[in-house]
This record gives sequence, C-alpha cells and structure tokens, in this order.
Amino acid sequence: MLEVNGLTKHFSSGILQKQHVKAVDGVSFRIKAGTTLGLVGESGCGKTTIGRLIMRLIEPTDGQVLFDDIDLLTLKKRELRKIRPRMQMIFQDPDSSLDPRMTIGTSIAEPLKVHGIVPKHERSQKIRELIKTVGLSPEHVNRYPYQLSGGQNQRVVLARILAMNPDIIIADEPTSSLDVSVQAQILNLMKDLQKKFNHTYLFITHDLDVVRIMADRIAVMYLGKLVEIGETHDVFGYAKHPYTQALLSAATRMKPGAERKKQTLLKGETPGPIDMPSGCRFHTRCPRKKNRCMIEEPELVEIKGGHHVACHFI
Amino acid sequence: MSSLEIIDLKTHFPTPDGHVRAVDTITLSIMENETFGVIGETGCGKTVLGLSVMRLLPPTATIAGKIRYAGRNLLEVSEAEMRRVRGEEIAMILQNPTTSLNPVIRVGEQIAEAIRLHQGLNKRDAKKKAVEMLDAVKIPSPAERANEYPHEFSGGMKQRVMIAMGLACDPALIIADEPTKGLDVTIKAQIVELIQKVTEKKAMLLITHDLGVARELCDRIALMYAGELVEYAQIKEIFENPLHPYTRGFLGSLPDQGLVPIPGISPSLIELPDGCRFHPRCKYTTDVCKQKHPEMIEVAEGHFVRCFHA
Ligand SMILES: Nc1ncnc2c1ncn2[C@@H]1O[C@H](COP(=O)(O)OP(=O)(O)OP(=O)(O)O)[C@@H](O)[C@H]1O
Ligand SMILES: Nc1ncnc2c1ncn2[C@@H]1O[C@H](COP(=O)(O)OP(=O)(O)OP(=O)(O)O)[C@@H](O)[C@H]1O
Ligand SMILES: [Mg+2]
Ligand SMILES: [Mg+2]
Repeated sequence: MLEVNGLTKHFSSGILQKQHVKAVDGVSFRIKAGTTLGLVGESGCGKTTIGRLIMRLIEPTDGQVLFDDIDLLTLKKRELRKIRPRMQMIFQDPDSSLDPRMTIGTSIAEPLKVHGIVPKHERSQKIRELIKTVGLSPEHVNRYPYQLSGGQNQRVVLARILAMNPDIIIADEPTSSLDVSVQAQILNLMKDLQKKFNHTYLFITHDLDVVRIMADRIAVMYLGKLVEIGETHDVFGYAKHPYTQALLSAATRMKPGAERKKQTLLKGETPGPIDMPSGCRFHTRCPRKKNRCMIEEPELVEIKGGHHVACHFI
Repeated sequence: MSSLEIIDLKTHFPTPDGHVRAVDTITLSIMENETFGVIGETGCGKTVLGLSVMRLLPPTATIAGKIRYAGRNLLEVSEAEMRRVRGEEIAMILQNPTTSLNPVIRVGEQIAEAIRLHQGLNKRDAKKKAVEMLDAVKIPSPAERANEYPHEFSGGMKQRVMIAMGLACDPALIIADEPTKGLDVTIKAQIVELIQKVTEKKAMLLITHDLGVARELCDRIALMYAGELVEYAQIKEIFENPLHPYTRGFLGSLPDQGLVPIPGISPSLIELPDGCRFHPRCKYTTDVCKQKHPEMIEVAEGHFVRCFHA
C-alpha cells in the first residue's frame, strides 16, 4: 500500500530565487497494493513532481509518503537504498534516462548486477528474455541509445525496470513514444505483470483512453492540487468537477474518429503556478464561477463512496 | 507546385550486427501549403526520414537518392549551404526535447538565439519575440519563465519550447517529429490550432503517433512500415477506406477499440522479410506475398497502396 499525505513541493526560481512555483500543494491519496491509480492533468500541473517526491529524488517542502507503513521521507540513506529496488519510476523522457555511453544490453544488465538479482551466468539469457518481452530483438542489444528510435528507447527503459521487478512502479507517460499497436502490446504486458506480481502502479498519462483502460482509480490534478479522485467508472461516467468535465470534452474532440466540429475548449489561459489565483485555483477559467470561488478554496469532499471532488457547487 | 520531393531515398546504418535499412526506399512529394503526415510503427524509420532531409544524421549513415527542395538536391549542397537551409528554409522540431535543449542556457535565450541567427533581429527584439513565442505555446507567465533553465520546465513545457523554436524562425518547410507528445488534451488542442494557423501557407511533414492530431492537421497521410510507405491518400480516405492490412490493423489497435495489437513482432531492419515486408503478420498472405515485393499502385485517385490484394 502506498499512501501520500499532504505532499507539497515549492520550487524557488527566477534570478533572485524569489518566485515560488507551487508545483505540488497538499496532495493526498492512497493506492491499494496490486491496483493502479491514474494521474491526469494539464501539462505543468505537478504530476512528475509527485512521482519524484515519492521516489525521494527531490525533498518535499512538506508532507508524508508511506510505503507499507514505512515513512519514506524520514528514512536514512542506507535504509532508503534497501527499499529502492522495490520502487521504481519510468521517467517521462526515455532518452535522458538512459546512459548514452552504455549499450542497451549493459543498461539492462546494470540493475541485475547492482541488486544481485540474477546470477552472472544467467544474465545474458535474462537480458534477451527482457528485450523480447518488450518487443525488441537481439539485434538491438549491442546498440547505444542514439542508435535506437524514441519508442525503442522507451521500451528499453521499461525492460530495465521490469528487470528489477519492483512492487511499486511509477509510470510517467510510459507509452507516449509508441505507436498505437505497440502501445497496446505494452499496456497488455503491464496489466499481465500486475496480475502476476501484484504490482502497484501510479500511472501518469495524458491519454484518457489509456488511463480508462489501465486505472482502477483516477486522480485529476489542476495547478498542484487534486480536484477530483474516484473509481475510474465514476470519474469518467459522472465527472463532477468542471475541470474534469472540460478535460473529457476536449478529449472527445481530439478523437481520430470524432465529428470534425469545434467544441468549446476550456476558455482562458492557465494561470502560472507563480501567481496562483486566490480561492479556487480553477475559478479564472470556470464556467460556473461565483463570488465565493474567488475567496474560499474548496476542500476535497466525498460525494459518494470513494468519489471526492473539490468544488463549492456540485 | 511541390515544395519537397523525396525520390528513391535509402538511408542505411552499418552496425557490427549488419546493415540497418532504416529508410528503404521512400518516394514522396509534399505540395506547397500542404501538411503531409507520416505515421507508423515505432522504429520503422520516420525520424531517420526527417533527419535525412535535414542532413542531421550520424556520420556512419549512408544516404542514396534525391531530396529536391527549391530547385536543388539537398544531398548535394555544401555543408555551409545546408547550415543556412536549416532554420532559414527548413526547420525541424526534434522528437526529443531534453536532449535537444541546452541544459545550461536559459530557455528564452535559446529561442532568442535561434531567432537572431536566422532573422537578423537585434538582441532585445529577439528576446521579445522569444517571450511572444512562449506565450503562443501557452507557457504561463512567459516573461518570467523565459529566464528559467530547461530542467525547471515540465516535460510538456519543454516539448512546447521545441515547437516555439521551430516556428519562431518562420521557415517555409517544417518537419515536425511528434510535436504534441506529452501534451494534455486541452493544451494539445490549442497547440494544434496554433500549428494550423502558422502552417497555413507553409509545407509541413508531420510525424506523429497521434491519429487525432494527424486528422486535424494533415491534408494527406502516409502509413510507413519497415522503412517504406505502404499506403497514402487524402486524410479522409485513409480513415474511411483504409486498404492496406497494416493500416487496418493500426486503426484497429486504437485504445478505445480495446487493446488489440497487430499480431506478431516488428521485422528486423537488418534482415527484412522477403516479398511483402508485412506478410509474416498479415492474415491475407498468399504465395505471391511471400515471393514478390509489391509496388505502390494507385487504386483510386490519389490513393496509393502497396498490397497485392488491395
Ligand atoms: N527543478 C525545478 N525547478 C523549478 N521549477 C520546477 C522544477 N521542476 C518542475 N518545476 C515546475 O513545477 C511545475 C510542475 O512540473 P511537473 O514536471 O511536475 O509537471 P507535469 O504535471 O509533470 O507536466 P507535464 O505533463 O508537462 O510533464 C511546473 O511549473 C514546472 O515548471
Ligand atoms: N545510428 C543508428 N544506427 C543503427 N540503427 C539506427 C540508428 N538510428 C536509428 N536506427 C534504427 O533505424 C530504425 C528507424 O529509426 P527511427 O528513429 O527513424 O524510428 P521512428 O520511426 O522514428 O520510431 P519512433 O516512432 O519510435 O520514434 C530503428 O529501427 C532504429 O533502431
Ligand atoms: Mg511530467
Ligand atoms: Mg522517431
């Protein structure tokens, strides 16, 4: 079980380090072991930052991350290192998460070696197996990342993670560089492995069709905060937050088979996380805005078993 | 009139394991004002095709064929001339923002530099234009954020910086490699509108995995498989009347159709299958498919297919 409580990260940026980017601002959720939480939201709303905080690649401004009741954020370096192999993140950007000086084979072998997962004489067999699992072939093993395509590298990253067989996988846009057919293969693979090994996924994506298939629950984020969270079925079928609704309607418009007519897109610009709007963060673009929204920030409230929404007017 | 004409292009990479035939063989032409989409399996050679036009390949690559642009063969012009062509006449929005942006230069400066180089603006005006471009690609607080470094940007923000840079120099031909990767639906729709507006009077080669984006932007679209085109036609025709079994399988594997991948594995580009390159995965395969390599045939006006059974 993974539990996140009041997770917060403010970056100071700008020449004088004076502007504060409130990348993540008091986010809480739980993921039951063996299930998938989908995390969606506008570009720049803080999804990757949440992943990096859970992995403790950056230190939070505030908050708590519990993994099987172990408080990850207070762990000492040594203890953290012990728990690392059990938690892995697939980074959004495959090319920069591979070492350009290492061949693909060496890259995949490395975690096997470091964590002593597979004995030396079985390693090359294991690498070949992993390469095949993700739909690549032996001819790729001796190449460097620059000699592979974007989507091939993305699958090398996945193979590396699967080599470790962690309990928790934070998958940040794991199929963004794949064509739809190979994407379907990889998503099926991830689902099969989840069933087999009881993996827990935090699945970050912009593709709502993908998240609908992959996630048991969905969290929708806007400017550093969760605005809605619930069972996939409820969030898609009975979206309550105006932002979630706008997201779903924009998605229909971009569908390849959809009628080629213009739908009303979300109006207005995304406010910067630097000068955050007062009250509800979404009020500058919300079609249902009232005075109260500009003053008072709504809390996430449960409207039905497990379905929470942060809006004054639902 | 055509803007770009690619004729019998072959781009290969010798490796210790054999010759990788990444592009083998491509012929296509893009009209002025036209957006031509290329979609296809990951690893089938789309990026290599774009990089061949830009002549930005690693030195090991061998290129044959012709790439005609503005009255000359780009494969024959000098490197100095090619440097001028890049950016001024043709710009490429590269697939990978993180490795294409310089980590130690502020984002605004990087865009301004590209503008200054190709448009001869002074420093202040270039900076101003850079901020305008960041605003155009929907980066909030663009003036402040221009002063940040790439690592301070989210994945989708970096992606949009690439688009800003590509569009800033006002080239006549744009090669865009997965320009909308990693963007959420609302921003994607806005970016698509921006690209539409900017490229209205330009030619564009659009490489994408996103069929929704392709449908919005492209006039014609081509399906690529194992180094060659297997089908191309007007966009509407491809969606309504796909003929090549690969195209059909591709459209059938969209996530909202369930998760049904095309069976079988991607072919090796070192030892390409004999006959039709798709035959090992095709359910309509007959003897002729195993023996002969099908030619592109025009089956209806402007609709070309490389299949014996189409
Ligand atoms: N190291 C950093 N320094 C300063 N600001 C940062 C840093 N990392 C992220 N940010 C900012 O924090 C915000 C959230 O970024 P994050 O990468 O989490 O977004 P995201 O939701 O993953 O977006 P995308 O979908 O585009 O990948 C953005 O405004 C980003 O610019
Ligand atoms: N420098 C190189 N040396 C050897 N092979 C290479 C090199 N660069 C690319 N390749 C191979 O050429 C093929 C085409 O690569 P390319 O990057 O064009 O694919 P792509 O169609 O853009 O795929 P994606 O959709 O994943 O980006 C791939 O199979 C890749 O492994
Ligand atoms: Mg991200
Ligand atoms: Mg590519």
